[in-house]
Amino acid sequence: MKKFIALALSVVMAFSLAACGTTTEKEPITILGQSSSEDNLNIIRDQLENAGFTVTINMQPDYSSFQRAKEAGNFDLAVTGWTTVTGNVDYAVRGIYHSTGDYNDSPIIDEKVDELIDKGATEIGEQAAATYTELENYLITEKAYLVPIYSTVKMLAYNNQLLKAESINQPKSRPGRWEAYEYIDAANNDTRPLVLTQTSASPTSLDPIQANDGTMNTLSGNMYVKIINLSDDDEITTDSSLSYAYAIAEGNSEYYFLLRDDVFFSKAEGGHAVNTGVRVGGEDVVFSLERAADKNSVASHKTYTLHNHMQTIEMVTDLSELSSKVDASTGASVLETLTAGIDGQISSLTTDKTAVNNAAGTYQVIKITTTEPFPQVLNYLAHQSAGILCEEQVMSLNSKFTVEDYDATKDVCYGDFGAIKAGDNHLWCSGPYQFVSVDDYGITFEKNPGYMADSEFAPKIANVYMKFIKDASSATSSFRAGEVDLLGTVAATDVSLIEQDSNFTVMKRDSNGVTYCNFNLREGSKFLNEDLRKAVLYAINQEDFVLFNNGYVMPVYSTVGTLIDTGNVLTQDLEASAQYLAAYQESVNG
Amino acid sequence: MATKQMTKNEAAYIKKVNSKKLSGSFEFMTSRLGWQVSGVFALYLAVTAFMAESVSTAKLIIAAVFAVQFLLQFFITSKITKELIGPAGAISDGTRKLGFLLVPFILCGNFLLFIAGMMLVKKEKNIEYQLSVYSLLISLYIILISALNLFKPKQASTFVLGMALYGLYSIFNLVVIFAVGKYAMGKKPDKKFMPFAVICLLGLALGNVFSFLLGLIAIGKYRHKNDEISVEWIDVIRRLFKNYTAVIGMIVVIFLLSVSIGSNLTFDYRIATSNNFSQMLAQPSLAYPFGCDDYGRCVFTRIIFGARISLIIGVISTAVPIIVGGLLGALAGYYGGRTENIIMRILDVLSAVPSILLAIAIIAAFGASTITLIMALSVGGIPGYARTVRAQVLGLSNQEFVEAAKACGAKDGTIIFRHIIPNSLAPVIVRATMGIGSAVLSTSSLSYLGIGVEAHIPEWGNILKAGSTYLESNPYIAIFPGLAIIIIVLAFNFFGDGLRDALDPKLK
Repeated sequence: MKKFIALALSVVMAFSLAACGTTTEKEPITILGQSSSEDNLNIIRDQLENAGFTVTINMQPDYSSFQRAKEAGNFDLAVTGWTTVTGNVDYAVRGIYHSTGDYNDSPIIDEKVDELIDKGATEIGEQAAATYTELENYLITEKAYLVPIYSTVKMLAYNNQLLKAESINQPKSRPGRWEAYEYIDAANNDTRPLVLTQTSASPTSLDPIQANDGTMNTLSGNMYVKIINLSDDDEITTDSSLSYAYAIAEGNSEYYFLLRDDVFFSKAEGGHAVNTGVRVGGEDVVFSLERAADKNSVASHKTYTLHNHMQTIEMVTDLSELSSKVDASTGASVLETLTAGIDGQISSLTTDKTAVNNAAGTYQVIKITTTEPFPQVLNYLAHQSAGILCEEQVMSLNSKFTVEDYDATKDVCYGDFGAIKAGDNHLWCSGPYQFVSVDDYGITFEKNPGYMADSEFAPKIANVYMKFIKDASSATSSFRAGEVDLLGTVAATDVSLIEQDSNFTVMKRDSNGVTYCNFNLREGSKFLNEDLRKAVLYAINQEDFVLFNNGYVMPVYSTVGTLIDTGNVLTQDLEASAQYLAAYQESVNG
Repeated sequence: MATKQMTKNEAAYIKKVNSKKLSGSFEFMTSRLGWQVSGVFALYLAVTAFMAESVSTAKLIIAAVFAVQFLLQFFITSKITKELIGPAGAISDGTRKLGFLLVPFILCGNFLLFIAGMMLVKKEKNIEYQLSVYSLLISLYIILISALNLFKPKQASTFVLGMALYGLYSIFNLVVIFAVGKYAMGKKPDKKFMPFAVICLLGLALGNVFSFLLGLIAIGKYRHKNDEISVEWIDVIRRLFKNYTAVIGMIVVIFLLSVSIGSNLTFDYRIATSNNFSQMLAQPSLAYPFGCDDYGRCVFTRIIFGARISLIIGVISTAVPIIVGGLLGALAGYYGGRTENIIMRILDVLSAVPSILLAIAIIAAFGASTITLIMALSVGGIPGYARTVRAQVLGLSNQEFVEAAKACGAKDGTIIFRHIIPNSLAPVIVRATMGIGSAVLSTSSLSYLGIGVEAHIPEWGNILKAGSTYLESNPYIAIFPGLAIIIIVLAFNFFGDGLRDALDPKLK
C-alpha cells in the first residue's frame, strides 16, 4: 500500500512541477489606451511581450477617463491618434510635438524640435519638405520620442443603385461635400431626402469656432462657406468657396481673396430653408475671421490656435494696391492673378456688400496679413472653423451678455445646440445646406436656395437627413438594410460584408489619420531613457497591424508621413530591440 | 364488445408496466440515449456535408461512422427492450457481451455509447462500479482532447510528459474497474481495495471528482461499523447517480474541471494568447478544430483554457451569494420581526442598485483582479438568494415538523440547519444553476468595459465577444464559445436538478 501511495504522490508531484514554467528577468511596461483601441493594445502587448517586456494593460472605457489617466501619469506608453484635418504639416506637428502645443501632454520638451517646427512653418515647397523630414528623423530615428503604429485608410460606402458614382466625393482631410451628391434618377433630387449618418446625437456647438470635433465637423463644414477650400486631395482651391480667386503677395505675409456675389444667407422658416436675401460679403468675412483669431471673442474658443497667425483682416478699397503688389508665385501683379479667376474685369472695389455687383465690375477683396510669413494659413482658412457667419445674426444673440459673464446654463450664444433643439433655430447658414430642424433621431437639412444658385456648385439634392446611429455596427446594418444611403466611415471588419452586395460600393483612400504611441516623458519616468524607448520602438511590427486590419491601414513613420513622403519606414528589429533593452538594464543596474 | 374493452385496458396496463420495467433499467436508459444522440448527430453531419458547396468526403465518413454507431446501439436497445419485457424479464448474457462492441466508440468521442457499453457488460453494478467507469471516461477524454494537439505544427514542451502521465492514469483507472469488480462488490469492500481507494482520493488533485468520490465511498464503507444501517451521505450520492441526466451533467462539469487542470501540461498557453496573423480567421480544421479568431489564436485552445476562469468565476460568484444570502434569508425568515426588518431593508437598498453598476463601482474602488471581480459579481446576487430563502423559510417555519422539533426542545440552530435549510434548498439550487451562466456572461460584459478580465486572456465571454464581430462572415468563432457557455449552464442545471432530488428529504 505504501508503494501505491508513493507512486501516486510522485505522479501528482510531476504534474504540479511540470505545470510551473521558468521565468526570466523581464522589463515591466504599462500600456494605456481606450477600449475602442482594444485591438491595437492587444497587438502591441503581444509584440512587446515577444521582445522581453512584461506588459500590463490599462484600458479606459472612454476618452475622458483615458485623458484623466494620462494626466495622472499612470502609464509608460499611451495609444493615441491624430488627424490632420487641415491637410498641412504645421497642424500635424505643432500641437503634438512643439513644447507649447495644446496636445503635447507626454510631454516632448526639446529645443531642437521647437526650432524645426518654427522653421518649417515659414517655408514652402521642397525647403519645407526637407525641414519636416529632418524633424521626423530627429523625433523618431534619433530620439524615439514616439512609436508610430499606422495611418488609417478612409472608407466610405454608398448605394450605387441610387447615387451617381461620379458625384460621390471622398476628400482626404475635409468633410465630404454634400452639394456635389446627386441621385441617378434626377427626379429624386428635389423630392427624396438623402439619408446620412453620424454617431453623436449632440454636437458640441454649431458655432464653428466653439468646437472642433467629430460631433460637428461634417455639419459645420456643409453649413458655412469658407473663403478658400481644400480639394479632395488637399490642394488649395477656390471651388465652392466664397472666392473667385486668391493671391499670395511676395513675402508670404499678405493674402488677397476676390469674393463672389452669388452667396446669400439662408434661414429656417416654417420648416423650410429660405433665402434671407442678405449677401455673404466682405463685412461678414472680416467679422468671422476676426472673431476666429480673437481668443476672447467667445467664452469657449476651441480653434484659436489654428487662427492666431492672422494679424489683420481687412477689405481692400484701393484698386491700385492690388496692381502694385507682386504675386509670390507668378511674379505678375496680384490684380492680374485675381482677374484671371473671373470672366470680366474688376472696375471698382467696395466695402458695402449691398453695393456689390460682379456683372458690373464691382467687387470686394479681402486682405489677410499674417504675423510672420506663413503660407499654411490658407489651410487653416479652409478649415470649418473659418466658416463665415452673419454678423448681425451672431451679435443679435451674443451681444446679450459679455464673454466674461457668460453662463452656459442660462445664456444662449450663437450655435447653442441645446437651444436649437428646444426650438430656437437661430442659425443663418452661408454654406450649401441650411440646418432646418433636429429631434432625438436626426437632423433635417435643406439646400440653401441662395448658394451659388446658377453655378456648378449649387447643391443638387434638396433634402439631407443626418440620422444619429450611436454604434458603428448598427450603422452598417442600417446601411445594408437600405435605411441609410451613404455611410461616411466603414469599419475594416465590415468592408467585405458590404462589398458582397453588388448594390454597394466602398470607396477607399489614404487619410491623414495616424495612430501612434506616446511615451510617458514626465519627471521620474524610466522612459526618459533613450535606449529603453528604442527597445520599444524596434519591437513594433507595423505589418501585423496591416494584416489584422485586412490591409485597410498603412505603415507610417510619424504624423508628417501622410503629408510628405519622407521615405522613412519602421521595420521590426528584435535584435536591435534586445540590445537597447540590455543597454538600458545595464545602465540601471550599474 | 366487453372483451374488446378489456383487452384495450389490458394493453394499456401492460404498456404501463413495461415502460416502468424499462425505465427502471439503467442499461435501457443509457442505451436509448446512446442511439438517440448518435442518430441526430449522424443526420446533422450528413445534412451539413451535403449542404456545403462541394460535398465534403471527410464529413461524410464521420457521418457514416456515427450512423454505424446509431444502428448498432439501436439494435442493442431493441434487444434489451425485448428481453426485459419478455418472459425472462432480464438481459441475457449474450446481449451483455454486445456491450464490448460499444466501448471502443469512445475513440470517436461518443461517451454515451461508452457508458452504455460499460453498463451493459456488467450485470451487478454498484455505485463504486459506476464511479470507476466515469473516472476512466474522464481520463480517456482528456487524452483524446489533448491528442488533437498532435495535428498542430508545434506542441507544448510538456506534451509528451502529460500524455504519458494521463496514459498511466487511464491504465490505473482501468485496473480500478477490475479491482472494484473483484474486491468492492459486497456490502463492505475488501481490505485489498484500500490502496486503490487511497490513490483514487488523490484523483481530486487532477480534478477527477468521480475518482475521489469512489475512494471516499470505499473508505467510508470500510470504516463504517454497523452493517445494518446505510451511511446517509453515501445514500445521497447513490440517489444522485441513479439519475442519468444528472450523471451527464456531472460528467460535463467534472470533465471541464479536469481539463482545466490537465491542459497545463498538454496544451500550449501561447497558442491561446499569442497572435499569429498567418492563421487569421482560419476555418475549422484538424489543427484548429474550432478555427482561429481575428488574431490567429486557436479558438479551441482558448476555450480549453477559458474553462478555468469561467468555472472559477461562475462557481464561486454563485456560491458566495448563496451562502451569505441564504444565511441572511434564513435568519430573517425564522426570527421575523425586527431581525427580519433590519436584514431585509438593508438588502432592499442593495437590490435597488443595478447589479452591473454595483460591480463597476466595486471594481473601480478595489482595482481590477479576479478576486474583486468575483466579489463584485457576488454582492449583487445576495438579495435575490436572501429573498428566495426567506420566502421558503416563512412557509416552512409553521409546518408541523418544525413545531415538533421545537416541542422536542431542539435548539434554534439545529432547527434552522437540520430541518429548515435542507427543506428550502430546492428553489435555491435551481436559481444557482441558472446563476452560473449569467455570472459567466456578466464577466464578459465587465471585460467589455475594460474592467473585467483582460481581452487577450482566454475567458469564454471574451472569446464570444471577439466572435460577435464576425457573426456573419466567420460564425464559428462565436458559435463554439457560445455552445461552451450553453453546455456549462445546461450541465449545472442537470446536476442541480439531480442534486435537489437527491437531497430532498421528502424523496428519501
